[in-house]
Amino acid sequence: MLGKLALAGIKNRRRDYLVLLAGLTMSAAIFYMFANLATNRAFIKANAVVSQASFIFGFGAVLLILITVVYIMYANSFLLSMRQHDYGLFMMLGATRKRVGELVFLETLILGTIATAIGIVLGLLMSKFLVGFLLNMLGLHLAHLSAFYVPAIIATAVLYVGLFILASLFNLVRLTRTTVLKLLHSDELANQPKVKPFRQLVQGTLGIIFLAIGYWALAAIKVLQMTAIPLALVTITLGTYLLFRATILVVIRGLRRTAWAKKHLNGFLLGQLNFRVHNYTRMLTIVSLLFAMALGAITVGSGYHRQLPMMAKMIGTYSIAVHDKTPAEQKLMAQLHVSYSATYTQKRQGKTVYYNADEIAKQPVEQQRYKKSGQPEAHLYTQSLKAFKKSGTQDMDFMALALGKTGAYTPKILSAEQFAKQTGQTVTVTTIRVKDLQQDLQPLKQLSKLENKRFAPPAGMTVGSYQGYEVMNGFFGGLEFMGYFLGIAFLAMLASCLMFKILSGAPGDQRRYRMLYKVGVRQNLMRWGIAKEIGILFLIPGIMGVIDVLFGLQMFKPLMSAPMSPYLGIGSTFLIFIGLYVIYYLITLALYWRIVLPKTTTA
Amino acid sequence: MTTATTVVDVHGLEKTYGKANERQYKALKDINFSVAEGEFVGIMGASGSGKTTLLNMLSTLDTPTKGDVIVNGHDVTQMRGNQLADFRAQEVGFIFQDFNLLESLTAEENIGLPLALKGTASKIMDQAIHEVAETLSIADLLQKYPAELSGGQKQRVAAARAIVHHPSILMGDEPTGALDSTSARELLDLLTTINQKQAMSVLLVTHDPFSASFCQRILFIKDGQIGSELKRGNQDRAAFYQQILTELGTFNE
Ligand SMILES: Nc1ncnc2c1ncn2[C@@H]1O[C@H](COP(=O)(O)OP(=O)(O)OP(=O)(O)O)[C@@H](O)[C@H]1O
Ligand SMILES: [Mg+2]
Repeated sequence: MLGKLALAGIKNRRRDYLVLLAGLTMSAAIFYMFANLATNRAFIKANAVVSQASFIFGFGAVLLILITVVYIMYANSFLLSMRQHDYGLFMMLGATRKRVGELVFLETLILGTIATAIGIVLGLLMSKFLVGFLLNMLGLHLAHLSAFYVPAIIATAVLYVGLFILASLFNLVRLTRTTVLKLLHSDELANQPKVKPFRQLVQGTLGIIFLAIGYWALAAIKVLQMTAIPLALVTITLGTYLLFRATILVVIRGLRRTAWAKKHLNGFLLGQLNFRVHNYTRMLTIVSLLFAMALGAITVGSGYHRQLPMMAKMIGTYSIAVHDKTPAEQKLMAQLHVSYSATYTQKRQGKTVYYNADEIAKQPVEQQRYKKSGQPEAHLYTQSLKAFKKSGTQDMDFMALALGKTGAYTPKILSAEQFAKQTGQTVTVTTIRVKDLQQDLQPLKQLSKLENKRFAPPAGMTVGSYQGYEVMNGFFGGLEFMGYFLGIAFLAMLASCLMFKILSGAPGDQRRYRMLYKVGVRQNLMRWGIAKEIGILFLIPGIMGVIDVLFGLQMFKPLMSAPMSPYLGIGSTFLIFIGLYVIYYLITLALYWRIVLPKTTTA
Repeated sequence: MTTATTVVDVHGLEKTYGKANERQYKALKDINFSVAEGEFVGIMGASGSGKTTLLNMLSTLDTPTKGDVIVNGHDVTQMRGNQLADFRAQEVGFIFQDFNLLESLTAEENIGLPLALKGTASKIMDQAIHEVAETLSIADLLQKYPAELSGGQKQRVAAARAIVHHPSILMGDEPTGALDSTSARELLDLLTTINQKQAMSVLLVTHDPFSASFCQRILFIKDGQIGSELKRGNQDRAAFYQQILTELGTFNE
């Protein structure tokens, strides 16, 4: 009988359950995808050329587990808030605590198991399609990535079901300890935390100290090694929580005393925030961390994506060199956005390659100079023929224009007459420097392929910056991919975290806005009020998250050594991310308006 | 009664629930009555007779299907959107059976809400709040939250919120419904005081003869129509109470 009642209760709120289930499913799916990437040994071996990459994968996995724990706790409290009224009612009607307890336990566990099962299937599908799509978009090739990987399935199932068993036990204890009356009126109880100045001050100071330790730990990752990340994670979480606790309440109380609070709905807004500040601090802490991690991961990912071509540019004075161009190659070369191009005739004889001085004088060879610090100078330069004959012929990029099976030919420059008489295999080579490597990746890729078919450089060597870029992409591509992947994962989790918060507050708000409607508050004013309230909820973790990221990027300094930098060009990434965040805010707002705003009867 | 002193004027009011293609229910049929300025009028009737429906029409929470409702010179059936909200905020004070206090605000903030909506200066607001708190003897409760108040106290706070902005009419839908007899009596005495001292018109919906006996005039609704009317005249409350009981006896047969 009670089981039937419980089922009816679930049916009544199936929309909320659907959201909960969808959120948990997404989380399980993301975890599976990541577990697949992180534990798939064949995949890691094939791609983790850089020793730190496997470390980064491990770090990502730990982070994801921690976030998942928090996330499930959060989802669970949403579940409980949804059900406690019903449970209270059952108890009032005479159901024993034991019976209700069983019900709670089963309900949580069943929901969790279903979410995990669907999540793993979804994760399988996503690994297959989404990961492929992402790799394609980034132009990366990661070998040995199979969607189906048993250890990852086991890891996901064990973690999730384990967590849900814990959550069920927690719910059981929570519910059997609360009085029936409290359960029945849970959403009406006023939660009015006291402000104790001394305690707030201590909390605030502690918060700042913790944050400072966390930020320092991230910057000192070279010294602290593996301990840096757990240390930073714990201290930043604690610090953020304490800081929010110490400040938000005080700010709200302060504002409440001003005349501003007595205008229009401002007082109501502050009352709402004050009313829920305790739930909010926890949620805001989690969301700000998720925000930071999502933004940080995407910043790092896009940092690699943007900066790899930049670094590649420094590798060679020309983007590509084509020997004895064919009509097909000619066609591809026409597609390039050329900044500088030169064509030379070579005569290869023995270990020497001869060049025509006339050609070199007409099309001087561009060269790279280095500063004392070892940094390359920003612009290329050219030498007079005389100077070039002396030193320029030793230029690595110039030498690379004539590569034999064992290495480079020794270049020699002859006058036009001597060159005409010189015997040897005649080859023409065209060097092209494009304006922007990123822009011409496609034709360059094909050109490089065609060129390598006929004039493959010795193993381990590359000619021109495009080929250098390809090699580096293989090196750093895994990191880049992880950045984007984790970023999207965290963003999705952030989205559903906020969603839970908002939905769990909606029934209460529905009542409150209905009252405001009766008292005669204009629809617009209510809309604005809601926009402000939700806006504040989005803004606080957003600001905190950006600060976290600015400090957190320090962590990647060792991984992105000069000329790369984790901070280079982050503005555009931030803008795009914040744009997404704003869109998410608007969607949430529209949803909330639909749920909460009273229907006007004039229709 | 001349129109100049009429606060509420209802003509041929009809309300049909349900859309044209659904099953329809006529909750109100051709209602006509008026309330003079400063009058204390009760509306009585059995459960489901249409009392709440009528009050919702008057307070613009719902729109009539047909007929006119004129409150303090405004034809509320012609209003739309913001006009309706502003009308409720300025012309009507409302006390509900379930208090309808915002639990996230203190008593003081709850009472101040109608003034805040008007954009009243905070000094004037404080003064007004304290004045009405004095009248309703809730001055010492102002800093408390609704969860910390008893039912009777909550309803007094709600009454304070309903009159703080001096609306032209105070409406109550079973305001004593959730109160014990002592608290109910206190509230009714307060309503009487407000009605007499501030000359504020009061419209009280109730099915309880005791509450109704505080009114000067009572309209009886049956099946969506006004069946009869009873005037207190110069009788004292106890005699009027007896008269109501007798009327109810015949009215309900
Ligand atoms: N939104 C609605 N849709 C359809 N029918 C309604 C609606 N609201 C009320 N009714 C019907 O209109 C009639 C009058 O309802 P109303 O709420 O006005 O009664 P009431 O006199 O206030 O009763 P009570 O004393 O129980 O509060 C009832 O038969 C009710 O079923
Ligand atoms: Mg009613």
